[in-house]
Amino acid sequence: MPLFPRLTSLWRNLLHRKRVELELSEEIQAYLDMLTEAKLREGLSPREARRAALVELGGVDQVKEQVREVRMGSLIEAVRQDVRYGVRVLLKSPVFTTVAILSLALGIGANTAIFSVVNGLLLRPLPYPESDRIMHVWHTPPQDSFPGQDRFSVSPGNYLDWKAQSQSFEQMAAYEYAGFSLSTGGDPVPVLAIAVASDFFSVLRTQPAVGRAFTAEEEEVGRDQVVVLSHGLWQRAFGGDPGVVGRTVTLNSRGFNVVGIMPAGFEFPQEAELWVPLAWDGEQRRVRSIHDSAVVARLKPNVTLEQAQAEMSTISSQLEQQYPEENKNWGAVVIPLHEDIVGDVRPALLMLFFAVGVVLLIACANVANLMLARGANRQKEIALRIALGATRGRVARQLLTESVLLAVVGGVLGLLLAGWGSNMLVRLSSGSLPASTEIGLDKWTLGFTLLVSLGAGILAGVAPAVQFTKSEMSEALKQGTGRSAAGSVKQRTRKALVISEVAMSLILLICAGLLIRSFWKLQQIDPGFDTRNTLTMSLGLSPTRYKEPAQQLAFQDRVLERIRALPGVVAAGVTSTIPLAGGGSKQPYTVEGRPAPPVAEQPLAQTRYVTADYFKAMGIPLRAGRFFGDQDSEKGAQVIIISEAMARQLWPGEDPIGKRLTASFHLDKGPREVVGVVGDVKSNVQETAPAATMYMPYRQTPRPWMTFVARTASDAQNFVPVMSKAIYSIDREQAVTNVRTMEQVMEQSLSGRQFHMTLLITFAALALVLAAVGVYGVMNYTVALRRRELGIRMALGAQGRDVLRLVIGQGLALTLIGVGAGLLAAYGLTRLMASLLYGVTATDFLTFFSVPAVLVAVGLLASYLPARRAAKVDPIIALRSE
Amino acid sequence: MPKKKLDLLQGTLDLLVLKALALGPLHGLGVSSRIEQITQGAFQVKPGSLFPALHRMEEAGWLESSWGDSENNRRAKFYRLTKAGRRQLETETADWQRISLAIATALKAT
Repeated sequence: MPLFPRLTSLWRNLLHRKRVELELSEEIQAYLDMLTEAKLREGLSPREARRAALVELGGVDQVKEQVREVRMGSLIEAVRQDVRYGVRVLLKSPVFTTVAILSLALGIGANTAIFSVVNGLLLRPLPYPESDRIMHVWHTPPQDSFPGQDRFSVSPGNYLDWKAQSQSFEQMAAYEYAGFSLSTGGDPVPVLAIAVASDFFSVLRTQPAVGRAFTAEEEEVGRDQVVVLSHGLWQRAFGGDPGVVGRTVTLNSRGFNVVGIMPAGFEFPQEAELWVPLAWDGEQRRVRSIHDSAVVARLKPNVTLEQAQAEMSTISSQLEQQYPEENKNWGAVVIPLHEDIVGDVRPALLMLFFAVGVVLLIACANVANLMLARGANRQKEIALRIALGATRGRVARQLLTESVLLAVVGGVLGLLLAGWGSNMLVRLSSGSLPASTEIGLDKWTLGFTLLVSLGAGILAGVAPAVQFTKSEMSEALKQGTGRSAAGSVKQRTRKALVISEVAMSLILLICAGLLIRSFWKLQQIDPGFDTRNTLTMSLGLSPTRYKEPAQQLAFQDRVLERIRALPGVVAAGVTSTIPLAGGGSKQPYTVEGRPAPPVAEQPLAQTRYVTADYFKAMGIPLRAGRFFGDQDSEKGAQVIIISEAMARQLWPGEDPIGKRLTASFHLDKGPREVVGVVGDVKSNVQETAPAATMYMPYRQTPRPWMTFVARTASDAQNFVPVMSKAIYSIDREQAVTNVRTMEQVMEQSLSGRQFHMTLLITFAALALVLAAVGVYGVMNYTVALRRRELGIRMALGAQGRDVLRLVIGQGLALTLIGVGAGLLAAYGLTRLMASLLYGVTATDFLTFFSVPAVLVAVGLLASYLPARRAAKVDPIIALRSE
Repeated sequence: MPKKKLDLLQGTLDLLVLKALALGPLHGLGVSSRIEQITQGAFQVKPGSLFPALHRMEEAGWLESSWGDSENNRRAKFYRLTKAGRRQLETETADWQRISLAIATALKAT
């Protein structure tokens, strides 16, 4: 069958409908006229001829209609009519239309926004060629030393053995985070630098857009002063000048030759600004006890994840036997990169996706309810259409067209909301979402919105379409008012809808409640120090300018002196890492007089290197003994301060002061005497039990990486300029990073949770409002339906109070059934979110008690308003109105 | 055989219209009188079937139409067969002959 004439006909029928119709009229008219002439010729009178012709024709409009039905695109035409009619109907009731469109817009918008995140993070592959073959390879640490940790950084020695021995990977490359400061004239700016093995870019199969990547020779110390810039840094710091390739830039006071610029959008690991070669000297290459590297690798095309995992397990058990001292119980795990990056946010994202899905369902139920309520006024119209021969299918299609229309308009509005919303999401997430650059509205998101809109429209229209075309309804209509019979059928549907709305919103509210309780518990945590008025700044000294420990200490002393001299600074100290920020290391130790197992089996304690006043600056209390003092210098006796938890663990019921222990990483310094016990401090918020912590004096264990901590007399934020100036006045080449008050550190450590919680609260609140509107709507309608009955009751002596009780009772019953169903569902569902909770169980009594109470209260309010109206019914008017 | 039933025979209408037009262009009334004539009055095609069929066949590309003057100088829409229409007529004729032969054979069988 030739396609072309059909397409041209379709085109003409749809776009030149007027002309097509006009021609049809003319054609039929000509036929009629010619037929009349023929009848005249047969000898009939003009009137008879005309009549006979009309009879033979069988009605001009009927013939036209029959022609229209066979035309190409007749279905499209019918839909067009439905849509035009639907628009007219919807415009006639603007309040209904607005409320319905807004409900759907909110539901669809929320879904689209969350989908854009789910799509960007979970569904879309990473932006590297054949990214599904890129893996992270991590150590699995011994569980007794690192309980709960399933991934651990890798040491140079082990990485090099992995790389040399494994056959499963095309390439393998280690990378490490390095804090660098970039000087381009003014104050040095901190940049996130990544030190990478030369195969790094080949693993990701992404080459610089300008210039080249690193060569294997550049992994040698001394030849490693080359740098590849990110597109972003190139734009920011060098104005996008391609001539920067080949030039020398100053990083950490050393000159680096720029060899390449990565393409825009390449950001691995997240927020990386520049890459330098990862260079180890001969000695460093043999180190197996310092775990600093992450390892990426590309699977060979015909090797499966399982095969690679099996090979890595074999290699690491060989390494365990070969180097038991460092490698005992250290395994290896291969994880797809995408999985590794988004694995942590998946449960929270899926929960949010579920939540917006529920919100949309509630919105659909609401629109269905509104349509049913409005249908009361349309009964006549619909009955008329059915009486005039419209099939039930035709009427149902009309109703569905209306709800789909609402949903499509809602979808367009929702898309606008989502565009704004997903920007908000990225901003709100403040770093708690990985790869946030991938989030946005793309064709998948648009397709999703379209599908969801159509789906929502059909979902919302099904109940009304079925209800209004039920035969009992039209029968009832034929008999006159017919309100009671038809009304009761629809009332059942409406009540069921409202009950499910209440139940669904209860589920969301309970989820939100549990998150709020978790968050609240987390905020109540005593971190073990005073977060108020504490400012911290970090600094990594250039290893060339401050090569000798004595130089590092001298720099530190001079800065501390300046900071202390600032008016308003109460105390100032230095620490290697601050608590709550997730950094710091756990180090092995042995106790004097007790058996000393090999390093790999020794107990571990959180370790910080601090100056004398660190404890005062942080507000960590002294429990026994003393803080560090001037006597604990390079030349003084080796000393150590331990936390309460560690003291309890090692010497329960004994005085730990004067006991001696050895930090295995500082073996050469010999055993250290415990001179003090300080309060426990949380290393991270999730920690349930305080971890054993040991503190060593900075002067006895100097290092180039330091964080200055100052306790201030007033808001610490005000001290940011003066304190950084104090540091820059000593050396303006050393960039200050991580300028944060301890309150901000605390906040940041909770920001991921806060993000999920804020969103879920928003969605739950939305659900609550929609459900309240639902209850209100159905009660309002009930009151309207029962006006006559209520009028009779009042005429027979019922008081306003009785009517009030009657109506509220009914609303309350609906709410309670919904709450009951919701509680059952929530009880089953909340355990799925256990991993997102802290300090509360998934069936937390307080939440399961208070949330339903809130919902019942809202239900009461929503039925009180219609009830009050019912109580004011004037019996005379009510009786007359029927 | 009652005329009413002849009217409803599926597929025959297309064949008859194609056959009627094979002799030359005709307007709507012309098509129906030609059919009546060549079937010796066995078929009377009502406008309610004729026009939908003409439009459907035109959209299928078997017919094309143009406005012209009738024998009584009246403006009317004339239909004529296209090449595709002629091919269609041949196919349908062959089909019809095969079917009628088969049916006739079947009816003769004892």
